[in-house]
Amino acid sequence: MSKTQKFFRDNIGFFFVIPWLAGFLIFKAYPFLSSFYYSFTDYDLFKGITKYTFENYINVFTNQQERTALIITFKYAFMTVPLKLVAALFIAYILNFKIKGVNFFRTAYYIPSILGGSVAIAVLWRALFNDEGLVHMIFGIFGIEGPHFFTDTTWALFMICLLRVWQFGSAMVIFLAALKGVPVDLYEAAAIDGAGKWRQFFTITVPLITPVIFYNLITQLVQAFQEFNGPFIITKGGPRGSTTLMSLLVYNNAFGGTYKMGKASAQAWVLFIILMIFTAISFWSQKHWVYYADDEGR
Amino acid sequence: MKKKLIATLLTAAMATTLLAGCGSAAEQPAAETTAAEPAAETEAAAETTAETAAADADAAESYEECTLTMDWWGGDSRHEATIAAIEAFEAKYPGITIEYNYGAWSDWETAKASEYLSGTNADIQQTNFDWIRKYDADGTTYLDLNTVADTLDLTQYSESTLSLPVDVNGGLAGVPVSLTGRTFYWNKATYEAAGLSTPTTMEELMAAGPIFKEKLGDNYYPLVATEYDRAILMAFYLQAQTGEPIIDQNGNFTLTEEQVKEGLEWITSLEENHVIPTIEYYDGEGAEAIDKSARWINGEYAGCHTWDSSPKSLVSALPNPDDFVVGNELMDTGEFGSGSYAKVSLMFSISAKCEHPHEAALFLNFILNDEEGAALMATERGVPESAAAYAICEAAGAINPIIAEAHKSVMDSNPMYWNPLFDDSSLKGDTSVYNTLFENLSYGVRDGSYSVEDAAYDLYTAYTAIAPAK
Repeated sequence: MSKTQKFFRDNIGFFFVIPWLAGFLIFKAYPFLSSFYYSFTDYDLFKGITKYTFENYINVFTNQQERTALIITFKYAFMTVPLKLVAALFIAYILNFKIKGVNFFRTAYYIPSILGGSVAIAVLWRALFNDEGLVHMIFGIFGIEGPHFFTDTTWALFMICLLRVWQFGSAMVIFLAALKGVPVDLYEAAAIDGAGKWRQFFTITVPLITPVIFYNLITQLVQAFQEFNGPFIITKGGPRGSTTLMSLLVYNNAFGGTYKMGKASAQAWVLFIILMIFTAISFWSQKHWVYYADDEGR
Repeated sequence: MKKKLIATLLTAAMATTLLAGCGSAAEQPAAETTAAEPAAETEAAAETTAETAAADADAAESYEECTLTMDWWGGDSRHEATIAAIEAFEAKYPGITIEYNYGAWSDWETAKASEYLSGTNADIQQTNFDWIRKYDADGTTYLDLNTVADTLDLTQYSESTLSLPVDVNGGLAGVPVSLTGRTFYWNKATYEAAGLSTPTTMEELMAAGPIFKEKLGDNYYPLVATEYDRAILMAFYLQAQTGEPIIDQNGNFTLTEEQVKEGLEWITSLEENHVIPTIEYYDGEGAEAIDKSARWINGEYAGCHTWDSSPKSLVSALPNPDDFVVGNELMDTGEFGSGSYAKVSLMFSISAKCEHPHEAALFLNFILNDEEGAALMATERGVPESAAAYAICEAAGAINPIIAEAHKSVMDSNPMYWNPLFDDSSLKGDTSVYNTLFENLSYGVRDGSYSVEDAAYDLYTAYTAIAPAK
């Protein structure tokens, strides 16, 4: 075996990784790092860079439009994530019982998540809840004048949240798998000791599935802060900017006709840092509430 | 193994050479030249057509076999017409292939912007008037069409029309296909149901609001206006008061903050008088456009104010197209008439990087001025500005009578100059000033969170940021 052949044999794995590595470097690492550089400039896609500045970062917290978008993003995340986790866990808990047609229900509840981030589902949502939509028609039958779901500033964000909460299927499936893993003998012992269903749920089920709750919390948090499709398609960020999430603002600045890449990059980086902080807090907090059976517990 | 590799490489090299040969500038006579066929019925049409054909024939004496790329945006009927014209051109000029790409307007400009940035824009493009300022700021994106005037017959266009799409170097960045302006369209059945005839004056329109509310109900409006419509209506109103464009030819904003406030008060009065619905009510339906609105289709919105080139979709949306009537400009809007303006609706441009400008010009001349090409393109991009194309379309009965009537309404109103800064991306766009400001105003004046004074200050600031005060 020649030296070259030996070299290839010993390093063949690296060659298989090269396409992925190239893709990662070109489409992930480079944009990621270059956006950091651009975030300190007034980079305009067509006019280029004319100055280096911290203004983009300062504006995120001082400019009213950007600050509002940041607040709305927090509101959206803090409404969506708990509601979605609770809904997913609740339905998973019910579907864990031996009830008739359980497979049908599991499929039915999972379907919205298959449709997931698709544009079609957002269009459907808009068609259902707009002032001439099906929901208003049903209200009309009962002589009720329903709210303007997408044009009333108090309703619009909630409706966008609801769209995401409705798509709880993937979190539900993960919860369901975790619930299946809880030993039945624990429930039997608890029942003998006189614990009711609620007591069993909070003292046995919840502690034992905390690693899965933690996993779902992190993934849902990341998704919530990056939400784009719903507000972009349904409300375009309106009414009066009440559904303009940070990701939508990033898009609007970068591609909405003004091509302010420097500003958009800074906003994206602020969003990234916020996500990092929340993820770090979550990881730090897990020692207080997440139970891992394979080590010393908490 | 090595021999096989060498053989493969040699074969590949040969193929490359052959392909390069195909694309090279091997000049050859055109298979066909355009014959002057006086098919037009009118004398004027015959004259212009013959002149065009003669110019075409001279210019097309020789051309290179090549492949050109082209793109445009629009609706289905425009796509069909353009593809038919491309096929006719390829049949007439064998050896020239047009590779085309088309789509709807939505996000089209974003895609084109990235192409301009990367230098991958098509050889021939349908372009917007304001793109000259946005993407051809240094005059190097679009070819100066005067350089191909021996092939592209520019004599078919008036001097005033050709004076508009000029780049910073004085070059002709595009050839305007048509001029356009806005006029009113009415649903006469709804007006009749309210016991009214369609309005011919601003006074009648303002009076119609309360009557609609009383006789037809809260959900019936004489006119519907989106945020951008309101910006244009306000411009018309103020131009009718001052007699000059709100942004003049020097790029200066001609209004004071007080005048902007007057314009906004007038827009607010339209809402308050039930002439137009609130933004909350309009957006609540979630319709993509007025012609997609169930309220337009069933006659609850009895009027709209839009381009003279786009009434077809509004007509076809109505159950009874006969209910649709073209209104005139409302000449009592102010002391100086309707305050309307006209602008280049869209253009065709050739990329400065195009390797075959002569052939690209040959193609443009075919679709814009040639008897066969212009007839196929018809009025899919508005009433043609080319005298030859107009004569051809008129003779063939291809000019849609509704479009012609709407266009006449605009042109008869002595329209003013329109500066493309009016559509600057900071003003026009989903989240730009027009949308956010008129939305805020509509909501804000009702709940007290945003006043006309606030809006006047914001709008004046936004305008003067791109067009310094005069």
